[in-house]
Amino acid sequence: MVLRIAIGGAVVLIGLALGGARLWWLARLIRSGSPAPGRTKGALRRSWAELAEVLGQRKLLRRRQSGIPHALTFWGFIILLFTVIEAFGDVFSSKRFAIPGIGHSPVLGFLEDLFAVVVLLAVISFVVIRLVDSPARRERRSRFYGSHTGAAWVTLTLIALVMITLLGYRAAQTNTGDFPYGSWAFASHAIGGWLAPLGRGTNSVIETTLLLCNVAVIMGFLVFVTYSKHLHIFLAPMNVGLSRRPRALGALEVTDGGSGARTIEQLSWKHLLDFATCTECGRCQAACPAWNTNKPLSPKLLVMGLRDHLFTSAPRLLAAGHGASRGSALTSSNGASSAEGKVVGQSRGSSDAPAAPALVPDVISPDVIWACTTCGACVEQCPVDIEHVDTIVDIRRGLVNDGKMEASVQQVLENIAQQGNSFGKSGRMRARWVRELGFPVKDARKEPVRYLWFVGDFASFDERILELSRTLAHVLHDADVDFGLLYEGERNAGNDVRRIGEEGLFEMLVEHNMSTLNGAQFESIFTTDPHSLNTLRNEYPAYGLDKPVLHYSQLLQELLESTAITVKPLGTRVTYHDPCYLARHNRITEAPRKVLHALGCELVEMPRHGLNTFCCGAGGGRIWMSDDPALGERPSENRIREAVALGVDTFVVACPKDFAMYSDAVKTTGHEPDLRVVDLVELVATALETATLAAVSGS
Amino acid sequence: MRILVLMRQLPDLVEELEISSEGTDIDRELVKFVMNEFDDQALEEALLLKESSGAEVVVVALDEPDVDQALYTAIAKGADRAVKLTGVSNERWMSTHERAAILAPYVEESAADLVLTGVQAADDLDGQLAGVLAGLLGLPHAAVVVGVELKDSTVLVTQELGGGRSVDEEIDLPAVLGLQAARQAPRYAPISKIRQVTQAGGIEEVAAHTPPEASATAISLRRLYVPERSGHAEMLEGTPGEVAERIAEILRSRGLVKG
Amino acid sequence: MSNDILVLAEHDGQAVSDITFELLGAARRLASGSGGQVAVALVGGAGLTGTLGAASTVYVVDGTSGAIYSPEVFEKAFLGVLKEADPRLVLTGTSTMGIDVAGALSVAWPAPVVSYVVGLEAEGTELVATSQIYGGKLMAEVAIGGPHAICAVIAGSFPADAGRSDGTPEVREVAVAGLDSARTTPRGVHEPDTSGVDIAAAEVLVSVGRGIGGKENLEVVQELADALGAPLAASRPITDQGWLPKPQQVGKSGKKVKPRAYLAFGISGAPEHLEGMRDAELIIACNTDPNAPIFDVAHYGTTADLFDLAPELAEKLGS
Ligand SMILES: Cc1cc2nc3c(=O)[nH]c(=O)nc-3n(C[C@H](O)[C@H](O)[C@H](O)COP(=O)(O)OP(=O)(O)OC[C@H]3O[C@@H](n4cnc5c(N)ncnc54)[C@H](O)[C@@H]3O)c2cc1C
Ligand code: SF4
Ligand code: SF4
Repeated sequence: MVLRIAIGGAVVLIGLALGGARLWWLARLIRSGSPAPGRTKGALRRSWAELAEVLGQRKLLRRRQSGIPHALTFWGFIILLFTVIEAFGDVFSSKRFAIPGIGHSPVLGFLEDLFAVVVLLAVISFVVIRLVDSPARRERRSRFYGSHTGAAWVTLTLIALVMITLLGYRAAQTNTGDFPYGSWAFASHAIGGWLAPLGRGTNSVIETTLLLCNVAVIMGFLVFVTYSKHLHIFLAPMNVGLSRRPRALGALEVTDGGSGARTIEQLSWKHLLDFATCTECGRCQAACPAWNTNKPLSPKLLVMGLRDHLFTSAPRLLAAGHGASRGSALTSSNGASSAEGKVVGQSRGSSDAPAAPALVPDVISPDVIWACTTCGACVEQCPVDIEHVDTIVDIRRGLVNDGKMEASVQQVLENIAQQGNSFGKSGRMRARWVRELGFPVKDARKEPVRYLWFVGDFASFDERILELSRTLAHVLHDADVDFGLLYEGERNAGNDVRRIGEEGLFEMLVEHNMSTLNGAQFESIFTTDPHSLNTLRNEYPAYGLDKPVLHYSQLLQELLESTAITVKPLGTRVTYHDPCYLARHNRITEAPRKVLHALGCELVEMPRHGLNTFCCGAGGGRIWMSDDPALGERPSENRIREAVALGVDTFVVACPKDFAMYSDAVKTTGHEPDLRVVDLVELVATALETATLAAVSGS
Repeated sequence: MRILVLMRQLPDLVEELEISSEGTDIDRELVKFVMNEFDDQALEEALLLKESSGAEVVVVALDEPDVDQALYTAIAKGADRAVKLTGVSNERWMSTHERAAILAPYVEESAADLVLTGVQAADDLDGQLAGVLAGLLGLPHAAVVVGVELKDSTVLVTQELGGGRSVDEEIDLPAVLGLQAARQAPRYAPISKIRQVTQAGGIEEVAAHTPPEASATAISLRRLYVPERSGHAEMLEGTPGEVAERIAEILRSRGLVKG
Repeated sequence: MSNDILVLAEHDGQAVSDITFELLGAARRLASGSGGQVAVALVGGAGLTGTLGAASTVYVVDGTSGAIYSPEVFEKAFLGVLKEADPRLVLTGTSTMGIDVAGALSVAWPAPVVSYVVGLEAEGTELVATSQIYGGKLMAEVAIGGPHAICAVIAGSFPADAGRSDGTPEVREVAVAGLDSARTTPRGVHEPDTSGVDIAAAEVLVSVGRGIGGKENLEVVQELADALGAPLAASRPITDQGWLPKPQQVGKSGKKVKPRAYLAFGISGAPEHLEGMRDAELIIACNTDPNAPIFDVAHYGTTADLFDLAPELAEKLGS
């Protein structure tokens, strides 16, 4: 007894000391990050997130195969917390320790046994999953590619050991008479049956040994967890609770005026917490369009790389104390730092502190940072609500502020700064396409309109897309929709500019557009471009925009439902590509589908659709960057192949950039003859014509 | 070591240009002005020289529409000082010779070791600035420069001769160079930095010397007009042989066929 | 005041450049109306006078370090010739040499200078120069009335053939003092790097698009390109497939080119492509689709099949 208490006590103390030290170290490390304001606002939403995401395992359960065993393990551990308490009680007090208030209810005994068995089964299914999707065999296609698989195996072993020792000592207890539960604890009694022939003495030894082992394994697991990726057991609930709500999509987070992160100390503490929380599950990687088309970026590997860097930088970060101010660390490479008036190492205690390595290129290659389309698939997937896009863009800001970017991107930014559009065309030409319409379009700056059409650059300047803009204008005109434009008063809305990391230019664009919008009279805005929609809807309100922002697919849906336009069914079999910025970032997935339905189209969904849509590769400024054909197919080509496999002949898009990307991709994949890329509004126009023709021939 | 970068504003050629009622100038009312792209190359080369040799970079411009924006951008990119020569009318086309005559005394007073400017500007109808200015100052010069390397009292210059040929020469300082291209593409100035610099102010305004009248070198511009431009290609009809013959003729008449 | 026209010659030591013959042709035409003489100023390259039969006099300045160009030496030498010949009009190209010397000579001589000239006509006793400014968006008409003037002419404005004739013009040696005490020291000439193709530097480009069908078909356009001494360029699909190296791609994500002639075969004229080549001086497009947008920017177009046209054209140019 004394020995048992001594051994047990020692194990527990050592475990708590080791684990506690590690957690304390982590807490100090994460708190050394830059400020991330507003992370505790909205307690109700945050509590709900805890319930759904942590307790309900919402995101994990989207992937059934691994989600179910994970949820069962998670719930199992909650139940098994009772056994842990009981085990500690058994070690340190009387053998018939009962949890005050609950006692030895047979239900508890049953649940404990049930979950011990269930968790063991779950562990077996994890083993199967890991063997089937083995990175050694499947390489980049495995979601565990690059994860610490060794640690995962240790974890699975430890979990199995916890369960085995638990069931073992409970079984032995049934024979020593120490077991407080009746036959409801079915597993303990069953195993006890097998152990009974060994006799009471042996069973007593087994009981004590396995009990101590159980406590030791639990403490060992605890310590191991704090030193491995299984830290998420502690950090995930925190990270989920502190993440942006409802999700880190839509608007971007901008901290510290958008000066950007050049070193790890300039990243916000929330992002440091993200890195420490990552479970290396690879769900983000499996969904990432960059990774899936052989680009060097994997959101998982990025997060892991930053975590490793965070941990190796710990001595420096902890020595400096927390909250080193941003923008103070590195001189910008082009020697212009004097203009910023910032001093190197200003906030450091000692002047001989080691210099912080630049995140790019010392820690991450620039190719990785620039490969991101900001499609948000990673954020959507991540079960612990890591905010990849915010981190990536924050790092881009640092690069852009130092003038480091691809020449083509620089050209586009200069065009937008000079001319207000990415095409580098005269801003006065923006509404030129209207001239060929044959009817006047209102100028919302001069007369009030119901809808203000924010056309966007592609729909205003790209020759191929002008025709689509005209088609939409005709459809609206024929339906007597009261709409108008800002004409040359419109400029690039800035969504991609902001995601490239040019925060200053973004602000300049917003100021300009807001001053034009403030001088116009309208009830709501609709956009052609989902990217413009995203920033107008989610980011402009911070600058004073207080009108609803719709997508033209929503407007078309309204018109069809209100029978402002009537159509004849087309009967075409089509598939529809959800634009990332419409579906994922803004949750608009139904409107275009309802339009297709109203047009009598048979919609065949691609495997990746709705919130799980696959990016066309154009977002986040990628449309202006070159991609190396040696790397293999582009995301748009990958997507076209997905559509072709469905056997449909029409690929419907609802975004001008998609139209450009996919018209190109059907050619490069050689599918031009068998797959037609059409915009939603073209289908509407065709159905209208059919209706008119029918009406004409019917009369 | 002091490097002067002479910059100027030009109508943005992306815009349609309209001709004023007098017919000898463009309508400046509607035009947007931007920095001459070649001056941007000169600035970049100067900044690269500053980085490698620690030279002081001073950008100099006449007071022209939107010139402040260009000067602040130059500071944001790393120029040490920006000087605006004021008191000259900026509402009309100004010849290269007039510009040179205004700039020459300033350049002389500034004790510059090296003067860089763009190889040309889209409206320098009466010759390019580097040559005219160097002529006024009696300095050695070179145009279409694509490489600059500073030595102690000389500068090693690479001039492009066309057809892929280039020539290296060593020129005594001070010298005037017309830049075709810097060693690397002009750097990006983030808007936030330009805004910061603009708020801080810091353009030095210097009253320009009134240039002497130089009738011997003045040109007399009669009129400007818009060239006729076919909106669509002239289609060549006939058999492939006939079409080939026509194309061969067109190429020959333009001296594009060798031998 | 004379009515003579002096052409500032350009050469690379082996041959006189095309621009010089173009200027000589224009000078001959103007002089025949005004009764002046045509002369040439030649710095170095004394052995080349035999090709300058279009001029009646060749002023040769020597004592320079052979064929190597130097702005300061050429400018001093030309000034020496100007003082001696006292022409009414000096013609040079808007080449490196022309840009170097025109401005400085205009101050030193002195005389007005007109740049970017594409046309020269006599109007009574006056000359009228037409120049292309604002990147070709506008034309300027400049009257040349005074006793002296310099015109820098854009290459390709006048036919070179009109100025090409062998003969034995009078050769006059001009001694110019101080050429060897220049502040500019030539350090060597780099000849064109022929290892990689630089499409941005080429005068003529033969460009291919997806209409070519496959890598093996490139041969037909390659023969045409060889006949023109032009490199091959391409639209993106061609470089994407690796049929031609990436540096040969024209367009948004490739290079911007501004050759004197751009021959497009089987290129539709997508905006991304047009962005890279619409400033070419002359665009000739071959595309079987009469509605291809490339025809909106081309000067000449044909709907012939490229597989028929390219070999025919190669043959016509080769002979
Ligand atoms: C972001 C982005 C960047 C891009 N960047 C570039 C870029 O830098 N450069 C670029 O070129 N493209 C670029 N593109 C691609 C561009 O959109 C077009 O897809 C591409 O230019 C088309 O190339 P093409 O004209 O060769 O092919 P196509 O458009 O397929 O045209 C082939 C043409 O050949 C004609 N043809 C067929 N057979 C014959 C024949 N026997 N004889 C004569 N004519 C024939 C056809 O009528 C057709 O018009 C980019 C696209 C995107 C989305
Ligand atoms: S936003 Fe999209 S492209 Fe970027 S890392 Fe996430 S999944 Fe990959
Ligand atoms: S970032 Fe999220 S989704 Fe990606 S590996 Fe880590 S935990 Fe999984």
